[in-house]
Amino acid sequence: MFLVKIQLLQSPLSAMESNHGKHSILMVSDFFYPNFGGVENHIYLLSQCLLKLGHKVVVMTHAYANRSGVRYMTNGLKVYYVPWKPFLMQNTLPTFYGTLPIVRTIIIRENISLIHGHQAFSTLCHEALMHARTMGYKVLFTDHSLYGFADIGSIHMNKVLQFTLADVSQAICVSHTSKENTVLRSGLPPEKVFVIPNAVDTTMFKPALERLVMDPIVIVVISRLVYRKGADLLVEVIPEICRLYPNVRFIIGGDGPKRVRLEEMREKHSLQDRVDMLGAVPHAKVRSVLNSGHIFLNSSLTEAFCIAILEAASCGLLTVSTCVGGVPEVLPDDMIVLAKPDPSDMVHAIKKAIKILPQIDPQEMHLRIKGMYSWQDVAKRTEIVYDRALKCPDQTLLERLSRYLTCGAWAGKLFSLVMIVDYILWRLLQVWQPDTEVEVVPDLNLSRSNRVTQVHPSNVSS
Amino acid sequence: MGCCGGPPDGWCYSFTRLLFSIRFRSTHQNRNCEFGAMENSIGQIPSPTQRRWRKVAYGGMQPGFDDNHTDNTFLQEMVMNANVVKRDMLKVMLDSVSISQYLCIVALVVLVWTHTLNSTITHNFLLILDVTLLASGFFILLLTAKMLSFTLLINYLIKISFFTTSLYVLSPIYHTLTRSISSDSIWALTTSLIILHLFLHNYSGSTIKAPGALEIKPTLTSNISLNASIVASLLIASRLPSRVLVFAVILFSLQVFLFAPLVTYCLKKYSVRLHLFFSLVLMVMTLSCVYCLHKLMFVFLLGVLSFVNLVCPYWLIRIQEYKFEINGPWDEAKLCFNITD
Repeated sequence: MFLVKIQLLQSPLSAMESNHGKHSILMVSDFFYPNFGGVENHIYLLSQCLLKLGHKVVVMTHAYANRSGVRYMTNGLKVYYVPWKPFLMQNTLPTFYGTLPIVRTIIIRENISLIHGHQAFSTLCHEALMHARTMGYKVLFTDHSLYGFADIGSIHMNKVLQFTLADVSQAICVSHTSKENTVLRSGLPPEKVFVIPNAVDTTMFKPALERLVMDPIVIVVISRLVYRKGADLLVEVIPEICRLYPNVRFIIGGDGPKRVRLEEMREKHSLQDRVDMLGAVPHAKVRSVLNSGHIFLNSSLTEAFCIAILEAASCGLLTVSTCVGGVPEVLPDDMIVLAKPDPSDMVHAIKKAIKILPQIDPQEMHLRIKGMYSWQDVAKRTEIVYDRALKCPDQTLLERLSRYLTCGAWAGKLFSLVMIVDYILWRLLQVWQPDTEVEVVPDLNLSRSNRVTQVHPSNVSS
Repeated sequence: MGCCGGPPDGWCYSFTRLLFSIRFRSTHQNRNCEFGAMENSIGQIPSPTQRRWRKVAYGGMQPGFDDNHTDNTFLQEMVMNANVVKRDMLKVMLDSVSISQYLCIVALVVLVWTHTLNSTITHNFLLILDVTLLASGFFILLLTAKMLSFTLLINYLIKISFFTTSLYVLSPIYHTLTRSISSDSIWALTTSLIILHLFLHNYSGSTIKAPGALEIKPTLTSNISLNASIVASLLIASRLPSRVLVFAVILFSLQVFLFAPLVTYCLKKYSVRLHLFFSLVLMVMTLSCVYCLHKLMFVFLLGVLSFVNLVCPYWLIRIQEYKFEINGPWDEAKLCFNITD
């Protein structure tokens, strides 16, 4: 037993090799359940599929309200809710080194071979990746969002990303546009960046059994009502469509600061009986809302992938969307009507959608989506990236520092300094508590029969 | 200070980007060759008519291509320097006149302060100056902003009289405000406040809303700037020997700091020629006044003015060539209409 542990100390790779090509992966992000969104969903479903493929997956996130400590989710997915409080938009306070001890302990305790960080906004992810690199582990990063290059906020964000990605083994993006963006932002060589799109749980998003009657035609909008999601476009488009088609109704799900504007619009044009505002829709109810409509309208101004249109298409709705970011890549041309993000073009697109609506068969669309997207496929493709990452050559601190130095005249030196301090702290920690003294957790062995049939997390309350 | 600040950090950043982009393009070319060779050797190469890589996310992994496949179309939609404005030297120089004009105004205020502290001007002169300035400023506003109305005039008069009365009542307090502080500290503090004021001042508009103009939201920096100037004038006033002088100086400084930007703004909007002429007169006047007071200060002011009007525009034009802006499909779309909240 002692020998095994010594081996572990020398190289994290050896731990993996002993397990016949199965990895133990630590997913790190500030964003995880009970918070809800695209990233959270992605991490959860990807982890579930990786567990099914026989890998060990552990999730690390920060504490949500009183949910702190270790929790187990479906199929023995272990989640560490690290007791750090979020300070802004569910992000932990960036402390650079504050998370080093706990990240180190989790990695050693759980016998982790690979660290996989998610989302560029997540400070916890950036910190954990940095510490993991210092400890000599291979790390992966998935970028879920797009960023411009013009404003001050983006410039700083991009610099942070460049720092994290300077030394990452492989990166994953959710669309080709996102890959272009990430390559430009971070300076990673493009062959290190993989494109693995999101998927949709087609068992959860099924079309209604009976086809809806075509009168009235119902257009569904489900999004947070914020500027970036194009709520202002809706304010212009909805009255115009209502004027052109007396038999069109709108259902708007979602809440946000722009809700007031939409309600004002509704009153100004007296459309109270034709525009339904549902407020925030819990994820479990999204399907039933989608199933009450014919056309799904997405008005986002920026979008790396847009799972919403995928869910809508899986429910058999024809999608009308603004042509931004990665949206044109998500669906084949005959399943989506794209428009420029200006009101007149969107009205035109909705007209076109209403025209081709009779030719759309929801059941057929659902089956097509089922063939196109599945989380199992995503997991298999991610597995390939994991294998690639583990095959990357090990690097000494000096080799890595040279990479940081290329990040910029001043920033490069700053980054190197941060890494050197991290390295020293790690060494100190090793003296204070040697790796061999950290107890390794025995793996939870759920036999096949014991496994619960997949319960969706939205049904699991905290 | 508007155009003459050094290249921002983003500029260095963009420049490294440029280098990177060139490097990247070349490695990219090489990569494609490698890729082709590799596929040939495996014998899996799809014939060009059969399968082509498509920029789509659906349908799983595209047969024959890895997930990290980088196609020839990679970054094809990237646009560089799409919104860059070509700047004209003369225009930039003329625009920078507003900055030097305001510098002169502040220099004149400081001159008045120094003369008052040296007791070379009397309170009668100052009070007459106050009234003349107020009247002429008001006159210019009336002429340029075209808002001749009796009620507005009465309204303004009431406000001004209220303001001056309260200032007069409060002047004994200001008079003894900084008695326990040494003059050196006051001078140092005032100088730094004035520099802060000049640095954060909004040179392109006016903090005070122009009558009839569209609502311009004053920014945080312009507010800080205005407050710094007011504190500076209070500090200076508190060193003066008599209450009437305190009142006169505060009134004078407030008039200038509050209303000069507004007056010059209206003047500039009314006629650019008039604005240039006014600035020129102001510059000559300031320089000659400073020359009489202190030779070294004159050289310094002359240096600053020529730096702002000649060196900075040239500098700005020069660094334009380092401009590197990237746009592409990842950018947030801009709405083509105004949002009225």
